[in-house]
Amino acid sequence: MRIVKDTNIDFMRQRKLALILSAVVIFSGVTSLLINGGPKLSIDFKGGTLVSVQFTEEMDILAVRTAMDNVNIDGQVFDFSKEEIKHFGDLGAELSAVLIRVPHIEDAPNNFAQKIVDHIYNAFPGKVPENKTDFIIVKDTVSPKIGSELSGKAVMAIISSLGLILLYISIRFEFRFALGAIAALTHDVLITLGIFSLLGYEISLPIIAAFLTIVGYSLNDTIVIFDRIRENIKLSKRDTYSEIVNRSMNESLSRTIVTSLTTFIVVFILWFFGGEVIHNFALAMIIGVVVGTYSSIYIASPIVIHLHDNAIK
Amino acid sequence: MNSKLTPRFLIIGLVLTWAIWAIWPSFQYQRLTNSEKESLREEGKLEQLESRIIKQGLDLKGGMYIVLEVDLPTLMENLAINKDGKFNQSVNNVRDQLALKPEADFFSLFSNVSIENNLKLSRYYYDYGSSNDDILSALGEESEDAINRVLEILQNRVDQFGVSEPTIQKQGNQRIIVELAGIQDSERARSLLESTALLEFFIVKDITTTNELMIKIDQALKGNEDITEVTKDIQPENSEVSTSDDDETVSVSELFGESGDTTETDPGVTNENLIKDRPFSAMLRNLGNTIGVPSKNAYAVRKILERPEVEEKLAAVGGTFVFSHKAEDYPTADGDVESIFSLYLLEDQAELTGGVVEEAKANLGSQGTTSAGQPIVNLSMNSDGARKWAIVTGSNVGRQVAIVLDKKVHMAPNIREKIAGGGTLIEGFANIDEAKDIAIVLRAGALPAPVEIIEEKVVGPSLGADSVRRGTQSVIIGLILVLVFMLIYYRVSGSIADFALIWNIVLVLAVLASLQATLTLPGIAGLILTVGMSIDANVIIFERIREELRKGKTPQAAVSGGYDRALTTIIDANVTTLIASLVLWQFGTGPIKGFATVLFWGILISMFTAIFVTRTIFNSFTGRKGLTKLSI
Repeated sequence: MRIVKDTNIDFMRQRKLALILSAVVIFSGVTSLLINGGPKLSIDFKGGTLVSVQFTEEMDILAVRTAMDNVNIDGQVFDFSKEEIKHFGDLGAELSAVLIRVPHIEDAPNNFAQKIVDHIYNAFPGKVPENKTDFIIVKDTVSPKIGSELSGKAVMAIISSLGLILLYISIRFEFRFALGAIAALTHDVLITLGIFSLLGYEISLPIIAAFLTIVGYSLNDTIVIFDRIRENIKLSKRDTYSEIVNRSMNESLSRTIVTSLTTFIVVFILWFFGGEVIHNFALAMIIGVVVGTYSSIYIASPIVIHLHDNAIK
Repeated sequence: MNSKLTPRFLIIGLVLTWAIWAIWPSFQYQRLTNSEKESLREEGKLEQLESRIIKQGLDLKGGMYIVLEVDLPTLMENLAINKDGKFNQSVNNVRDQLALKPEADFFSLFSNVSIENNLKLSRYYYDYGSSNDDILSALGEESEDAINRVLEILQNRVDQFGVSEPTIQKQGNQRIIVELAGIQDSERARSLLESTALLEFFIVKDITTTNELMIKIDQALKGNEDITEVTKDIQPENSEVSTSDDDETVSVSELFGESGDTTETDPGVTNENLIKDRPFSAMLRNLGNTIGVPSKNAYAVRKILERPEVEEKLAAVGGTFVFSHKAEDYPTADGDVESIFSLYLLEDQAELTGGVVEEAKANLGSQGTTSAGQPIVNLSMNSDGARKWAIVTGSNVGRQVAIVLDKKVHMAPNIREKIAGGGTLIEGFANIDEAKDIAIVLRAGALPAPVEIIEEKVVGPSLGADSVRRGTQSVIIGLILVLVFMLIYYRVSGSIADFALIWNIVLVLAVLASLQATLTLPGIAGLILTVGMSIDANVIIFERIREELRKGKTPQAAVSGGYDRALTTIIDANVTTLIASLVLWQFGTGPIKGFATVLFWGILISMFTAIFVTRTIFNSFTGRKGLTKLSI
């Protein structure tokens, strides 16, 4: 069976259109990022407290909010009713798991997170599991200290992997290929980041891992095409650069589609079945697979052509 | 079959056999019920099994993750003498700077601030040197010492939680990461981690008392069905374990109060009688002048010691059994090594607590003394402690004194003479590191290091179980879909790729098991991603082969041409993802590291299966004469 027979699509003629599409998506993402003052960071990076608890029956968020407006912890009274309080995933019993997120509080009482849990536990007698251990789904407290360190490390990780990849491609191919690849994956990460911002999803540690995987995947795709270009340049001296690139993309199109499809299938399954914790991670991967495939055709290769043509002029 | 292919099949066969061998314990472990695990634990076999399985991360099995940090500014304040306004102001200044820039180095900030404020450190830390630089480097060592003390204390305590495989790691030079799997009571764990260490000195009971007590315990337990049940699989080795101080060795029969010479009789027969007659001492070993408990019996022995009839006997002699803090390896009669804990019978009242310790330093013995050149620990006490110490040592010359930190014996040296004045010299260490460890233990009670919890994560058991269920489900569904797709799209060749893909997953799991890596939820995601991406290598190859066939080449030529031309593409494409996974591994903690590990091995192994395994299978096909058509 073959999905695509021998094709001869003029990808390079569509590149203007593609450029506009990319620009629109990136622009709206970046605008959203600017309006919101950067990406919405999880407590991994900002610090703060997150608790998620499991009730034995369906819970109304409003009731939880009301219960949170007067939290007395060791004599200190807090009002958490304006904080982020929402349903958490679908742990079998719908709408009975609740997530509460509280920003970092300077000089918080000792064992702050546990005391919030205790407060909710006591506020809803009869609606909570008998054993308090079954009540807690997640309890997470991060000091801003660790958070800001982590942000620094995450930025370093992304920069250093980009640097290493740039180096590798420059050695194996040519520098302009490296620039094309880097442009493509910057494009991919920007789009994913923008979509996350538009959807109001937060950037947590696993999402950073997803970003780096997108980087790897997008490159994988780009390099397969580059490899074909390199091979075809050696074979034919007559054709123009643009023609060679176009032919290379057509020749590897079948592979591109098959691999993107299998990868898409698995990350989609992960998104669909994977559960609350992995949900956003899988979403980032889905966006990454789609955008990564697109960018290796419409971003990386046109840039290589552009740089080549400029060099000749 | 082509004879050139035989070594390739041999390699593939070996790798696959190894993979099954490596993965088998994990599979076995998955199928154990809790009660089966419990009975294996009592037999001491669980630990052995657990050392060969793929561990589950805290996000999968639930548990507690805590990061502790030593509060350096406070520690420095505690160490300083003659503190004045200028000093306090400078430390607070550093504290403020650290709040803004947490990743900055405390000591370089402190150095800058002291220069700015013209602060003479020798005024506050004259014990540590004269110049600012000397003092700062000495203080740096002191802070490292503080974190080591905390580490020691935590390692000491952590098995009170009764979790399997607790991890305690130092991160950088002022942090400690503690991971406790499946912990139920996070409040209790927190308070145990935060409370200060308890260091005590106990007198060890003499051998006669110990022997008599053991006989009584054996008699009390004799004929008890429960105990026979627990000990039925214990293999007592009634032979002597050789120890370093052989001249002092008390034979097993003496220690255990047996009159007959058991070593001459057939050990098989003796063992059965031994267990029936002496259910308690049959589980022990003789280590010269102490009792040994092989680590595989440690759990069973602890259970026995908790029994009411045993506690009654202990109360009668006013004693308490305390384990050593770690097991050590001893050679056995048949040339193997066995890891054995020491068990000490101590007086049930401590003679002194660690609060009296003023200083403990590891050194090499000075020239002209009996311990010249040997590692020693110098211990000094305050006046109150020294007075009591003189009485304790004076009335117990020749006996052992146990150094006990949080209910664990770290060392039990002999008292050679009455020690007046509190200046004590401890010797008998194998090397200087051992001496340093004991010095850390002795100081643990003296100068508590201020620690704070800067991160705490608790994952409830329900979420973990849910994640495992959904994760496994996703892997299986994703795998099946990809397998079916490949089969439809590439037919027979697709089935070869499918075969390689399945082996790919088995091999990744086998590598994880043998690396004792931890599988986390992102790790499972990595596994799924590997399924999707590892098929890529085969897709690249198959598309190439199709191209070659379309050019009219024979199946043989097409296969070999396709593989050759695809090789560089596959390597180039995968190296970049490898780079990303290595960076992730370097940067990540916990779950992210798990993801990176899976991704790294997944890619590496997929290259092996795609390039080597599938090619070998293809070649064995196309090697046949008369093959004119390839199902691809």
